Amino acid sequence: MTQILADIAVVGLRILLVVYAVFIIYQCFASMRRHKRQESPLVMLYNETIKEKIPVLCWENSIGRSKGSDIVIADPTVSRNHCVLLRRKEGWFVSDSDSKSGTLVNGKEAGFRTPVYIDDKITVGSTTLQLRRGEEFDEEVRHHWFFSKTSGKPSVSTPLLLILINLFHLFMAIEICITFSEVRLPAFEIWLAMVAFSWVLYAFSRGVLGRLNFELESIALFLTGTGALLLVEQEIRDAWIQVIAAVAGAVFYLVILQFIKNPDRIVKWRMAIMLISLGFLLINLIFGVAEFGATNRIYIAGVSVQPSELVKVAYIFVGASALDHLQTKRNLLEFIVFSALCVGALALMGDFGTALIFFVTFLVISITRSGDYKTVILAVVAVIFAGMLVLQFKPYIADRFAIWGHALEDPYDAGYQQAGVLTYIASGGFFGTGVGGGVLKYYGASETDLVFGIVSEEMGFIIALTIAMTLFGLVIYSRAIGTRSRSTFYSISAVCAASMMLFQSALNIFGCTDILPLTGVTLPFISAGGSSMLSCWGMLAFIKAADERTYSANKLNGPD
Amino acid sequence: MKRTMTRSVIALVLALCFLLGLGYLCFRFFTENDLWASQTYNRYLSGGKGLGAAGTIYDRNGEVLAESVSGERVYSSDSSIRHGTLHTVGDGSYNISTALQTRYRSQLVGHSTVFGYGLPESLKSMSNMRVTLDADACGKVYDAFAGREGACFVYNYKTGDVMCMVSTPAYDPQNVPDNPPDGSYLNNCVSSTFTPGSIFKIVTAVAAVENIDNIDDVTFTCEGEKDFGGDVVTCLEHHGTLSLDDAFSQSCNIAFAEMATMVGADKMQDTAEKLGVTKSFNISGVKTAEGYFDVTKADANQLAWSGVGQFTDMTNPAQMAILCGAIANGGDAKLPVYIDGGLAGSAGRLMSEETASKMADIMRYTVSGHYGDNMFGGLSVGAKTGTAEVGEDKEPNGWMVGYCDDKDYPLAFAVVVEEGGYGFYSAGPIARTAMIECAEALGFEG
Repeated sequence: MTQILADIAVVGLRILLVVYAVFIIYQCFASMRRHKRQESPLVMLYNETIKEKIPVLCWENSIGRSKGSDIVIADPTVSRNHCVLLRRKEGWFVSDSDSKSGTLVNGKEAGFRTPVYIDDKITVGSTTLQLRRGEEFDEEVRHHWFFSKTSGKPSVSTPLLLILINLFHLFMAIEICITFSEVRLPAFEIWLAMVAFSWVLYAFSRGVLGRLNFELESIALFLTGTGALLLVEQEIRDAWIQVIAAVAGAVFYLVILQFIKNPDRIVKWRMAIMLISLGFLLINLIFGVAEFGATNRIYIAGVSVQPSELVKVAYIFVGASALDHLQTKRNLLEFIVFSALCVGALALMGDFGTALIFFVTFLVISITRSGDYKTVILAVVAVIFAGMLVLQFKPYIADRFAIWGHALEDPYDAGYQQAGVLTYIASGGFFGTGVGGGVLKYYGASETDLVFGIVSEEMGFIIALTIAMTLFGLVIYSRAIGTRSRSTFYSISAVCAASMMLFQSALNIFGCTDILPLTGVTLPFISAGGSSMLSCWGMLAFIKAADERTYSANKLNGPD
Repeated sequence: MKRTMTRSVIALVLALCFLLGLGYLCFRFFTENDLWASQTYNRYLSGGKGLGAAGTIYDRNGEVLAESVSGERVYSSDSSIRHGTLHTVGDGSYNISTALQTRYRSQLVGHSTVFGYGLPESLKSMSNMRVTLDADACGKVYDAFAGREGACFVYNYKTGDVMCMVSTPAYDPQNVPDNPPDGSYLNNCVSSTFTPGSIFKIVTAVAAVENIDNIDDVTFTCEGEKDFGGDVVTCLEHHGTLSLDDAFSQSCNIAFAEMATMVGADKMQDTAEKLGVTKSFNISGVKTAEGYFDVTKADANQLAWSGVGQFTDMTNPAQMAILCGAIANGGDAKLPVYIDGGLAGSAGRLMSEETASKMADIMRYTVSGHYGDNMFGGLSVGAKTGTAEVGEDKEPNGWMVGYCDDKDYPLAFAVVVEEGGYGFYSAGPIARTAMIECAEALGFEG
């Protein structure tokens, strides 16, 4: 009888963990949705010709005749993309976008970033717009659907959310002990490290930087801790690397946020970053060590580093731009050359998964930046040809394609890993067989490539899906906050960083479940790997920066 | 800003594809769950996590064939039954691929979509299984093989229930030997084919009945051997002049070689295919091995030999039992099943009612007129024996196939003894044991 009660408790804990994980992720996104956003326009433009009040909602606004402009002026003498009205720390500026008739501020020709002040008159074509205070606009401003549930309070306070996450990881550690019927101290050590990490990060973010929102960090902490605790019984050294890399990643994250505080800094740094990135890839090509068919890592003092992971962060940085730069410099050539060199270097390393990630990110960046579909279609065609050449010359890649979709027909050889993942996903059911007790973790490279299966087997299919949905949610969130970012630099980089992580997740999840060919890329925040962890936290900075409140000096907008 | 966000819809497209992918994964998770979970390499099914806690397998009378007792898999206490049901039940390994403990292991150990293999033993609901076999009959038949290799398959041609399915060589699942005998992983009843010899005369007779006009008026002359296409076909005796009925009951080679020649290669081929010789049947999820019959390129002598079950002819025991069942059942074949509760499907109509009735007459006459009904303890049985030459200094395979036409014991059977010599002496006694035991399980008192 006591045995049955104990067994019920064990199964109960697993079910609790599943419900709990869904609850935590739900709370993170619910809190994001509830945040109050700037409700009144920043400033207002008064169209003196037709006596129209135009609210200016964003920090960067295109003015032009084209329907896609933020401020549409129905005047045939106005160019389609006439100029950009933008705000910086120093005040408001107007940048002419190479318009036909030019832009005048108080009658004087405006060039790049001509300052404008309240009551100044901006003349585009035969229309004159007067800059007025935002308070003079008295109509309702429509919200993005994602933020339709704004309220003064987040659905759960950040300290409580952190406690919930800490408790979740504690339950995971307890489950490990139950699985082995003995106290496993390493699990609690990892847990304590995660607790300390999360509260120090929160204290710094809230206390020193004065940032009010912490949901993105909470999500990252939740995923990082879950991945690390899954590694405890697989390879404790890897678990510690996860935690240490995440701490380093959090520092990286804060540094990036500081660095991109000025969205115009990219203009000065772009070339340098591109060269450093290519240098990294070159070093990799020269000193790379082959593992699992790809030469995508180097060893520095015995520590394995994947330079391509860091280049991912640089790639997003290089790809995005502020609106007035986008309007005047639509040429993608520089970025295309850089992308081609990155993808080419990765292909030479044999890391085709990462090459594909770069390529898809390239598509997202170039479409979002320019809407230049012709270039994009050209790039796709070029890559399809390149891909066919690869299949010709790299037979082991062709083998992966051959087994794709048929893993269960050859479960002892070519389909070994994918068949194992499917089998152990079904073995884990909805609620898993217990943290630490899985079988899939004994498969080669399972801690990186097959980690979706490990989560499924040990914690259940629902938690695995929840993690996948979290990465999906980041894309939705980054698009929602992107509408009010302080610069298109942030909107573009947020959307692209989230897309990059999502596409990487897709390759990982669908690769190991035989829906796509297995490419051997990591699942963000969960898969073992220091470089990957570092880069994931770095990517998070771009999403964070797109939130208009991240850099706001006053705390009026944010609730707590 | 607006334009950038409009263009970033590409990210949503990507996200949507991701969502579709997840949806497809979920769909496969639910529809292929059993397939994924029951793979033989799954460590939740083998070793310490395996059959130590699994459901019980019962025979038709509720007798336990295999059960789990305090972490151990325990088989029937009767050694003969353990051997006789080995290929149906299986052992702890996955070596016998057609056995229940191989194919249904995930159900037996209580796998569910919701909990996977995650439930502790005390909370698991392990599925039990019941088979239609009669354990005692299987045990006695196993003993009757007395170490010889072969197969014995008996099933109810009205309900489809398989009563006896024994394949030898077998080993003891309770104490698996280090080196099990060659061929012991194969269930010969379903997975093997053998040269049929004279039992194939059933097929030739059907072809003759259906294709030769007034077959009852046709006579054949046997002088021990006869030239077909420049080479001889031999017979064991000088049978003299014979009708179809006598040729069948005395198993005259010359008469049947003559019939195959008269019917012709095309019609012989059609008949063999129609009767299912070359077909695979699905018996409770196990596909039977396809027999072989191909005279499309045969010369006259080869066609003649094919008519007496030599040449390249091969048949499967279960398939032969299905054919005999169809003859007893007016031409309609019932598909055998051995997992209780499974619906027995139809294997189709193999021949017309008239042909079936004619075949039933000559097969019944073979037993009543030649072997005597005593052979089957008084059961009304129609049968055919066969002694198939397999060449290479080997003794011939002994066969006996047939059916009981008593409506209370509607049983069809096929027995083969590899290198057993004369079918009547090798397969005959095993068929007798099998039929009497199975009929007794249905209430027969011999």
